[in-house]
Formats: sequence, structure tokens, C-alpha cells
Amino acid sequence: MALIFPKTIDQYVRIGGALVAVMALGGIGAYVYFSHPLVADTGYSPVQPVPYSHKLHAGTLGIDCYYCHNTVFKAAHAAIPATETCMNCHVRVKPQSARLEKVRNSYATGEPIPWIQIHKLPDYVYFNHSAHINAGVSCVSCHGRIDQMMEVKQVKPLNMGFCLDCHRNPAPNLRPVEFVTKLGWQPDRDPEEMGREIIAAKHINPPTNCSGCHR
Amino acid sequence: MIQIKTKQTGKKYWRSLDQLAQTPAFMEWLHREFPSSAEEVIDGASRRNVLKLMAASFGLAGLTACRRPVEHILPNVKGVEDYIPGKPYFYATAMVHNGVAQGLLAEVNDGRPTKIEGNPEHPFSLGAANVFQQAAILGLYDPDRARSPRQDGKDVDWKVLDDALKTLSGSLGQGDGLRFLSESVTSPSFAAVQAAALAKFPKAKWIQYDAISQDEVRAGSQLAFGQQLVVRPRFDKAKVILALDSDFLGLDADTVLSVKEFSRGRKVAAETDEMSRLYVVESRFSTTGATADHRIKMRASEIKAFVSDLAAALKVGGNELKVVGQGDKKSKWIEAVAKDLGANRGKGLVVAGPRQPAAVHAMVHLINQALGNAGETVTYYKSTLEQTRPQLEAIAELAGELSKGQVSTLVILGGNPAYSAPVDLDLAANIKKVATSIYVGLDVDETAVACKWSIAEAHFLESWGDALAPDGTATIQQPMIAPLYYGRTQAEIVAALTGYKDQRPYDIVRNYWTAKFAKGDADKLWRHALHDGVIPNTTFAEVKPVVDAKKVNGAIQPAAQSASGMELVFTPNWATWDGRFANNGWLQEIPEPMSKITWDNAALVSPATAKQLGLSTHGWMVKGYKATDTEGHSDPTQAGNFVDMIQIEVDGRTLEAPVFVQPGQADGSITLALGYGRTECGHVAKGAGVNAYKLRTSKAPWIVADAKVSKIAKQYQIVQTQEHGTMEDRPLLRESTLAEYRKEPNVIKEMLEVPELVGLYGDWDYSKGNQWGMTIDLNACVGCNACTIACQAENNIPIVGKDQVNRGREMHWIRMDRYFVGDEEEPQAVMSPVPCMQCETAPCENVCPVAATTHSPEGLNDMAYNRCVGTRYCSNNCPYKVRRFNFLAWNYGTPEVEMMKFNPDVTVRMRGVMEKCTYCVQRIQETKIQAKLEGHRPIKDGEIQTACQQTCPADAIVFGNINDPNSGVSKLKKQKRNYGMLEELNTKPRTTYLAKLRNTNEELEAKHG
Repeated sequence: MALIFPKTIDQYVRIGGALVAVMALGGIGAYVYFSHPLVADTGYSPVQPVPYSHKLHAGTLGIDCYYCHNTVFKAAHAAIPATETCMNCHVRVKPQSARLEKVRNSYATGEPIPWIQIHKLPDYVYFNHSAHINAGVSCVSCHGRIDQMMEVKQVKPLNMGFCLDCHRNPAPNLRPVEFVTKLGWQPDRDPEEMGREIIAAKHINPPTNCSGCHR
Repeated sequence: MIQIKTKQTGKKYWRSLDQLAQTPAFMEWLHREFPSSAEEVIDGASRRNVLKLMAASFGLAGLTACRRPVEHILPNVKGVEDYIPGKPYFYATAMVHNGVAQGLLAEVNDGRPTKIEGNPEHPFSLGAANVFQQAAILGLYDPDRARSPRQDGKDVDWKVLDDALKTLSGSLGQGDGLRFLSESVTSPSFAAVQAAALAKFPKAKWIQYDAISQDEVRAGSQLAFGQQLVVRPRFDKAKVILALDSDFLGLDADTVLSVKEFSRGRKVAAETDEMSRLYVVESRFSTTGATADHRIKMRASEIKAFVSDLAAALKVGGNELKVVGQGDKKSKWIEAVAKDLGANRGKGLVVAGPRQPAAVHAMVHLINQALGNAGETVTYYKSTLEQTRPQLEAIAELAGELSKGQVSTLVILGGNPAYSAPVDLDLAANIKKVATSIYVGLDVDETAVACKWSIAEAHFLESWGDALAPDGTATIQQPMIAPLYYGRTQAEIVAALTGYKDQRPYDIVRNYWTAKFAKGDADKLWRHALHDGVIPNTTFAEVKPVVDAKKVNGAIQPAAQSASGMELVFTPNWATWDGRFANNGWLQEIPEPMSKITWDNAALVSPATAKQLGLSTHGWMVKGYKATDTEGHSDPTQAGNFVDMIQIEVDGRTLEAPVFVQPGQADGSITLALGYGRTECGHVAKGAGVNAYKLRTSKAPWIVADAKVSKIAKQYQIVQTQEHGTMEDRPLLRESTLAEYRKEPNVIKEMLEVPELVGLYGDWDYSKGNQWGMTIDLNACVGCNACTIACQAENNIPIVGKDQVNRGREMHWIRMDRYFVGDEEEPQAVMSPVPCMQCETAPCENVCPVAATTHSPEGLNDMAYNRCVGTRYCSNNCPYKVRRFNFLAWNYGTPEVEMMKFNPDVTVRMRGVMEKCTYCVQRIQETKIQAKLEGHRPIKDGEIQTACQQTCPADAIVFGNINDPNSGVSKLKKQKRNYGMLEELNTKPRTTYLAKLRNTNEELEAKHG
């Protein structure tokens, strides 16, 4: 029986096969790369409805994180402040500023400002701010130098590996509670050693089993 | 091979008649890997739907995967003092059930109530709640609730209604032809509105009618004492209790207190402890009967003769002894019970159920008085809200007026009487003859459709009110949320119609109470009343009445009744009560405690009666079940319990009903639950059961003496969970008698001899830190299912529907196993709640290929949903069959309003993942974090309560740290009644059971197997 295809077709089949294989591998690689939280989530910096600058408020003016995020020491959520909190100052400070129009509107109408969430954990993760802050984990460990950001950007991947690194070895991320909201604070001695002392003093034993975070 | 010896107790435990008879179909079904076609994909039509849904969700996934979705955070505009987002708050409130209030605490998460608990401060709750209260959350968020006023079947604006009410109010004159029809008024402030209405319209009438009426109880009190009194039995003080057709631990309990008090008398710690003894005489096998130490089945209509004979045996009254001495079973029983009651004067208690005629209640009062129990184990109160008129008489008169056209304005306040009133009154048709009919109700139900106007009522969790506990203790019913659909309260509508001085529900309630409080302190006392959920010094006056023995004896005289005809008994039921909860999926799906039927009611008959009527006694999978098809595969669409149907005829009215053969049912007596077969209802209630009200006349509202019954050539599929998870013939459930336990305390442990067991993996060190464990006291458990619903609410457990339950896909994390013991004729029953055992050497963990289920250092068997890939190996390897698999996306498409029910602290699971009891790990973690914040203090015993434990009216479930020798759970585990289910498998379960003890009477003991 005569051959249907000439022999030369073989090399095209081989080249085609190799191409498909490379594309498939490349596709998988690209999927793994682009879907990794380090790539997918870090750097997320949406435009907020009000151009609020943490750099100005927390950095230059030195307002403590706790002034606005006031439930962070006692609750799971670090509450986003009510419009009223902004207006505490802005009835006097720049009361006519065009950039603050949405804030004033919100205060007048009772409609909340639709802030865009940046640091988001999956629904099956139950993170508790108070448990971490009171143990001496600073805001900076997960949120970075917010006090230097004009627009807030996610700088840490916040994936499970990120959490577990610290849960397995919390010492480098611990500091005395009074300094947790001082984002630029540096210890005057070996941070590891200080961390170990805090662990011993506070019986810190972060869970690494599933139900520690997943319920 | 390790030899495991079980000690034969001579008792036979079985779950169904088919298991007892070992029918081939049952055996085939039993040996399948997953129960009842659980692994088959659903039938063609719904399979296509699933594929469509999947395609749609993939499409969405494709679109959204590239960019993360933008999510907003909406903070408050004005700060709320002391409010912390994400933290639950608890407020005291109350729910009225069966005419009385029980105090509750509602958990509110960011403004939406998500969970109901009992109020520990309330004397009739003491921290516990029942199934109906637990399920109230789902009722609140029911998407099928009435959402607006309706005029002639069309939705109208609230403004239109307000104008119409104003016009109507001005045209009522003296109230000629004005009638109000409400359920029993249990609210003092509403009673004030009622009184003002009747004062303003002196010719108007107010009729009170409950479908589950207490008419006979009231009439019995009137007969015995010459006045209406509230009877308050004290089950904790009684040593010998006789219940006559009284399901006081189940459906006849108005609050959870009866279970709470009864279980106190059943707690046995040391072998020397005393325990009460319970005798039950009843026609239907109730959970009270299952708890009884001795039970005799008897037609409900024969109980009058029984109580008369008992009185004679006790030499109470003056009637001649008729039966005793003839040597039959019944007379022996009467003799033994009379002797026991007589020997425990002042420590005995006789109670009768609300279905029994007034004469029986009166005689019970007489017996209690003669035995010196009155004032000791039973006390009496004079109610301030008494109803002098029998409800049946009042509603019959109303129906007469309606049919004669004497009523011009009819205001119906709840209760759905068009559905539930006696059928011979034909209320639905008669309402249509009224010029202006107004209905205030939660749903667009049968009555709403019959009336010209229907008004969306506010749920009790969204409105102000107040109500009285059985002894008169008042509670303010606080709203937890603003009315979702702007619904109004009943008091509000009456106030608007009659121009009451206060118009807003808050003013009606607050002004009523602050007027009663001391001046100056009124504000403070009001706030205290809201906070505590109890208003002090509001109990009714206690009275010490005297029974008119002559009158009672006269009433009981014509005791002998014909015993020839088939008796039909109506009861409320565990799912819909009288029909009002029909659209509540949690309640519909809960298996009825004794028959284990879900989503339906059925005519319950005894095996002997079934034979007599020519019905199949072994219904399960015999009829209509094709074990295998031509290729040898099981046919899933055919599986299930196809039962015979009968036609019941009462006074010329007929009803076709499926038959369920219930062991323990009295011969010649049919029990049919009310509250099913709704026609105008939400989508959940559609098609559930048959409507027993169609046979219920004003002549015989509870017991029909001579119903005509015939088999018809129809069959019906009944779905039960009875056999799901059947476990082989092993001593899973251990019980003994109190006498035996006293003689040989190790009798429980010795039921199983296990040689020393060696694990494969070596032992983990659990000696440090908190180690969680649980005990379940089978002696206290009455099988009320409250734990199952509490768990469902706490842990976001979905319902699956009748068809899926039939496939064994029900999702309850804690199931109630019910075993019959002994022979088919006079069986006993035992209840056993089964949650995940949190085995220390859990067999599920080492078969999971993705490590989705692992062990925590505190001894919990953790389940990480997001890791699970749905192999179901774990469920296969679980000897307790407590793991539940999400075969379908049960939560997909939950209406937005219903989503508000979800507990924010628990993940809502998706399709394809396994789930199971977690010991309420969210509560454990919450408390641990709280303890850490408070300076790393140790967690106190009892500080963490699992949802099932918290709501258990019997306090049967205890949870705590087993490493602490002083914790409640450690002490219970040291008891000699303590045993682990299937401990011979070396699973080392953290949940253990305390064996059941029956306090049997030696004189009757010989008869029971």
C-alpha cells in the first residue's frame, strides 16, 4: 500500500509535537507564576475614592495607626474608620478642600465612603488582628511601611507560606507591644534575641495546625 | 487477630422492622458502600441543570481570573459607641410557643441575628432552647415571607393600607359586626390594647383560638377546682412520675424547663445516687415513651378508663375498682403503678396530655391532691390572662355569625385559621362573606388568600413585644433588626384601627411597663428588664386549691367506651408544629425523633393493625424497590421506602394518607400529625405531607373514636434517615438498670472485653495543654433534636431536600440515632446523639491523600475545607459514619436575604468537600484568643460551650478540657457508666457516652425483655 503522507512529514510532526510540549510547559509555568500570590497580589494598589495619603497622615504628621484603626487591639478586624473620624480634624483642617468633597458628602448624607479593600485573605481564613498585635507583631510585618506610601500598596504576598514562616519562627517579627504601631522602629539590640525573650515572657506558641486559622 | 468479646445482654437492638426481619432488600441496601445510591449522579433532568450551572460558573471564573475582583469596605459614617465590627452581641428576647413565652438570647453579628440561645437568667429556659426556637433564625430570613400589604391578592403600598385603616376606623361606630380573631393573647401590653379596643367598641367581640388548644386542660381545671389555674409540675422534685398520653418531654412541653427539670432527677453520678422513675401510658410512641422506665401502649380513648381504675386502685375518689385483679397485663400495671405512687406520697406526680378530655385532667388533679403531691411536686397559679370561654365554642359561634352575614369587619391576627380551624366550620369560605376582612400574618398563607386585606407581620425577632412564661414571669421581646419588609405587629394594627393612645410598638410596650414601674426608677428598671430578659416580681399568685372530688368522680363515671372502631389521634409535630413552620427547611429536614421520617407526615399504625388492614408491615424498600436492574446494577431512582396508602373517613370527609408502620404504636389507633399538606405556602412547604386538618372537626378535635379506614391502591414514597449509617451488631449503645448498676457498677464496662490494643503509629503525647473532650449522657438525653438544629445554625449546615435525603446525603453533623429494644409488640427505645468522636487515632486522617484532615495538638480532628479534593476516602474509613459530603452545591443560589443567616465565623462550604463536627472550633479559638488577650489566663471550665451543649435542655452534653482533672467532663469520664463507642477499634474517641440506666420496677420487670 502506498504511503498517504510523504516521509518528510515526520520532521514537521516532531517539530509540531515539540512546540506543543513547549507551549504546554510554558502555559503551566506561566499559570504557576502569574497565579502565585507574590505576583498576583503584591503590588495591588487600586485608586481609592478619596486620595487619602498615609504618608502625610501617619508619616509626616505622625498620627498613630491606632487613632483611626481603633479596634485593632481588641478585635479580629482592624476597623476602617467612620467618616466621623476624618471629620474630627477636617471640620477645621482644610474644610473647603476639593479633595475632601466625598468625605463631606458622606458625612452630610450618611452614605458610607466605598473604600477599596487591598489586603484581603480568602474567606476560609480567620485572621485575628488583636491576637497578633497584642503578641507584639507590628503592622509593618504584613503591611510594610504604610507611613511611606502615598497610595497604599500590598507589599507582602499574604499567602499561607508567608503566614507559616512566621508561625514557625515568630522571633524576628516580635517587638514590645508599645512599638507595634511605630513602623520605622528598630531595636537597639539583636532582634532575634529580643524576640526569643518576648516569646518566653508571653508564652507565645503560634498554631501551625489547620484549625488555627481555618474553621 | 485480636479477640473482642461482647457480653450478651440478651437484648435485641434494632432500628426498623426490616432490620428485625432481615428482609433481603434491606440486607442488600445495608451492604452497599454508600447508603442508598449516594454515589450515583442525580437523575437526568437535574444533571443537566448541574452541568449548566457548572458551565456558567466556569465562564465566570474565566472572566474574573485575570484581575482580582474589586471589593469594597463600607465603614460607618457616624461612630457607634462600644460597637466593634465583627464582634457578636447578645440581646435578651423571648419567643412565644404553645401559648407561653420562653426567654432567649439572640446573637447579633453586625446588625443581623444569626443564632438563638436560651437565656440563662430566664426561669423557663435556664440557657436551653428547643428546635423551634433554634430554627427561628431561618424563619426570620425566609425569602417566602409576606413582604407588603395586599389588597384583593395584589401588593399595595403601606400608605394605601394606612389610609384604608384610618377610613375603616372612623366607620366602625359601636363595633357592630366587628370581630377580632387571634391566637391566645400572651402579652400583657397587647391585652391592654385588646381591652381598650373592646372598651371603645363595646359591641365588638374578640375570639381567641389556637389550633393546638389547651381547652381540655382549662376545662379540667375548671371541673376540679371550680376555677382556671395554671398547673406547674415539678419534674425534678418527683420520684415517681406517671404520664398519661402526655409527651411532656417532647411536643406537649411548652418550654424546655420540663426536660431540664426531669433530667435533673435522672443524673446518676455515684452508684448510690437516687433516680426518678417514669411510667408512660400513651397511644403514639413519643420521645417521652422512649425515655420511660416502663411504658404501656394504650389507645388514647381508653386512658379515661385507665385513670378511673388507677384512682380506684389508689382508693381515691370512690369509684369501684373494675379491672384490677383480673390478672391481665393492664391490671398488673395499674396495681404496680398504684403501689409505687402510693409508696411515694408527696414525691409522686401524675400528668395528662392536652388531648385527653377534661375529666381525665380533673381526675389527675384529684389523684395528685389525694397523694399529697399537690403543693410538693405540682403547684398551681392563678393566671392574669385567663380565657373563660372554650376556644372551640367561641370559634364555632364566630363561624355561625360569618355564615349568617352578621359580621361586617373581621380582623384575624395570626394563626392561619382558614387552614387550621375545624373543617366543619368551613372558615375559608365563610371569611369571604365578610365585607372587610383583614389578616395580619407572616406568610401569604391560606388565610391571607381568603381575606380582602392581608398585612405582612413583623417577625418576633424584628418587633417589640412582651410575653409571659407559664408562671407569669414577664419578658420584653426586643427586636434584633429593623423589620426586613416593614412588617407591622398585631398590636400595632389593632392600635391603628382602634385609635389606641400609643401607636408605635415600642411605645405600646414601653409605656405599659414603665407605668407599672416605680416612678423615677422607671427608666432604670426598663433598661434592666431589657438587659436581663426578665421583669422581676411578675409571677402569678400561687394558690392552694381544693379539688371537688364529687364532681370529678361524676365526670369520670361513664368511663367504659366502645373499643371497636379504629381510633384516630391528631398531634402537633416536630417539624411544622401546627403548620406555622412549614416553610422552615431546617425543621422539615430534621428526622422525626421516633419514625425518622423527614419532609412528610404519615398515618402511624402498629404492626398488628397494619396486618389487620392488609398493609405491608415491612415497608422499607419492599414495595417499588428494584434491587437490581437487568445488568445487575442497582436502580437508584427506585430506591426508597414506598409505603401503602389508606383512606381515612371521618364524618363523611375523607383523606388519603401514607401509612407508616411504627413499632410501639397502640393497636387500633392511628396517629396523624397536623400541620402538613399546606396549599398556600412557600416553596419549601410545597408538597410536604397530607393535611390532617381536613378530618378535624369541632366535635372531635383530638381523638376520633371511630374512623373508617381502608387500604387504597396507591403507594407513597416516605423518606427516612432511619437506616442511614447503620452499624453492625456491636454494643454501640449500652444500657442497664439502676438496680443492676448498683449491684455491679462495672456492668457497663464489662459489656465489651478488649485486650490491650496497639496502634500502628505510636502514641502522641496529649498530656500537655488543653485537650478537648466530650461526654454525652444517654440517661439524660430525650432525643429532642435541639442539638442538631443548634449545630445547623451555628455551623452553616445546609439542607438538601427530600430527594437527596433519600440518597443518604443529609448533612447534619450531629445525628440522633434511635434504636428499638426488645420485641416488635412492646418495644422500648433508646436515643443516642452521634457527632464526630474526634478520635485520637482517627482512621479518617491516614487515608486522606491530600492531608485535608489532620490532628491538632489539642486533640481535634481538623478539617481544612480548602484542601479537600473530595475523594471521600475519609468517610469510607470512618467507623462512626459522621462525615458529611457536599455532593452538590447546596449553598449555591441562596437568596440574598437568607444569606444573612450565616455565621460569619464558619466557612460556607462548597460542592465537593467533606465536612463534619469540629467541636465548634470557632468558639474554642475565640475563647482562646480572648484568654490570651486577658494576660494568658487559663481557660475556665465551662467557658467554651459547643452549640449542641449550650442548647441541650437535658444538659446531656458536656464539653471541656480532659487534661484538667477538676473539669466537669473529666469527672464524668471517671464514672463507671462511661464508655467509648467502638473503642475496640482503638480509635480512642474523645467523645464518650455515659450509659443509659432504666430505673425499673421489679414487679413489672419480668415482662420486659
